[in-house]
Amino acid sequence: MAAAEEGQPAPLATGGRGFVFVLPALLLFGLFVLLPIGSSFWLAFTRWNGFSPPEWVGTANFERAFRDTIHLRSYVHVTLYIMGTLVVEVMFGLVMAVLLNSDRRGFGLMRGLFFSPMVLSMTAAGVLWTFVLDYRLGLLNATLTALGLSELTRPWLAESSTALISIIFVSGWRFAGFYMIIFFAALRRIPRNIYEAATLDGAGPIRQFFTITLPLLRASMMTCVLLVVTGGFAGFDLFFTLTNGGPFHSTEVPATWIIRPR
Amino acid sequence: MSSVTERRSAGEWLQLAIGGAIVAVMFYPTVWMVLSSFKTNRELFRDPFGMPSTWRWSNFAQAWEQGGLGGLYMNSLIVTTVAVSLSVFCATAAAFAFSRLEFPGRRWVYRLLLIGLLLPPPVVAIPLFGLLRDIGLLNTLWALILPGAAWSLSLTVFVMTGYFRSIRPDMEEAALLEGASTWQIFRDISVPLVWPSMLTMAIVNTINIWNELMFALLFITDDEKRTLPVGLIRFFGRYSTDYTMVFSALTITTLPILALYFLLQRHVIAGLSATAMD
Repeated sequence: MAAAEEGQPAPLATGGRGFVFVLPALLLFGLFVLLPIGSSFWLAFTRWNGFSPPEWVGTANFERAFRDTIHLRSYVHVTLYIMGTLVVEVMFGLVMAVLLNSDRRGFGLMRGLFFSPMVLSMTAAGVLWTFVLDYRLGLLNATLTALGLSELTRPWLAESSTALISIIFVSGWRFAGFYMIIFFAALRRIPRNIYEAATLDGAGPIRQFFTITLPLLRASMMTCVLLVVTGGFAGFDLFFTLTNGGPFHSTEVPATWIIRPR
Repeated sequence: MSSVTERRSAGEWLQLAIGGAIVAVMFYPTVWMVLSSFKTNRELFRDPFGMPSTWRWSNFAQAWEQGGLGGLYMNSLIVTTVAVSLSVFCATAAAFAFSRLEFPGRRWVYRLLLIGLLLPPPVVAIPLFGLLRDIGLLNTLWALILPGAAWSLSLTVFVMTGYFRSIRPDMEEAALLEGASTWQIFRDISVPLVWPSMLTMAIVNTINIWNELMFALLFITDDEKRTLPVGLIRFFGRYSTDYTMVFSALTITTLPILALYFLLQRHVIAGLSATAMD
């Protein structure tokens, strides 16, 4: 019996008619995803101004793209961005999931507040943080001045040395809550008696975290890393709103480079 | 069994204090945004942290009018509603076919539909622009609805198929024995069965499509057809020195969504974590 339950159940219907259910999705997907991907690939080997017919030029575009140092540096920036967001989104999210994992009064609210930046649109978050990081009236510089650290104030987004790291932190502010929720959901699935047994064996909370929690969160961790990497490469909105690739291309990433007229 | 009614220990107080402090710092920019939208520009410079001396509700009316926020809201609402319905419906039908039916090329089509999980939308921005222009959809809301729905299909099909496979088809098989057609089974049995997962995907897709920026920036040139994210950026560009105006526009556009989120918090979080786990 068990073997029969594990296998795929028998289909309700067979034959080509079942294709009808897939057709709407396939049409939509074929026209607006597959077709553009295909022509993207083909157009890469042509010279095309968008209006007159494309003209085959072989690998000339690739040679040009790989001689463009701004283009090449955009991959360095996006790699740094992804490594940074792994820390400020995934690691911070994990720490917060452990810290806020409690049934006590108040923790539900704190999880809700911690997650709330996720609901703001990326553009709203970007515009808001342009003000937080603003040189003259920015919240960050005002806080630093109020704490007597006025020598640390700077135009965060207008200096090449701090622009990328600022974007990474804004990204962390917005997405840490999302990863916190993924880890939180996974934490809830770990049976509590494992921890009780570990406590009886004399393992402290930190030891328990590294020997029980972390290994059992491996699957969620993989999901998160995958989401950060794929999402990071597609990252556009924050870069466009906060710096649009500047200053001096120090925050140029592939997505902002692609649509830049040249 | 650990009881919830026990008194808090020192460790728990520490946990509450550290967690509370971090959450407060993280949430403060949002509070600052709302408070600043009530101030005058001069007040904002003089006292960035304090409460507004008078609560200037007129700031909102002014931002609403000058930014044309009503029209932006309407466009975003239309695009999101149509695109989300389209993608969730198409994906559910496809997921039903992938998990409950057998037809030639089933596995092949399923894998093809998941390609979107691997590629970021910016890759196709330029060919898509050409395509939309050729079929005459450029600069209409369809230019956002159809690609928006298409690009959210991969994730939706993936999650919905997984959900279908986690449910045993007992009810559907019973209906088949009663003589129901495949379409009747889909409409009357399967859809009500997977409704929770459809709702989850509707929420996830709504967040993504409501916030979509790049396509909206490239495919729409008429001011009357812009969506909220692009409108907000243009508003910011035009009034970048009138700070309270921008804060008011930000508050108007984010507060309703924040309020909705806190109302539906349980569903949003349950939905997102369910998605992430499967």
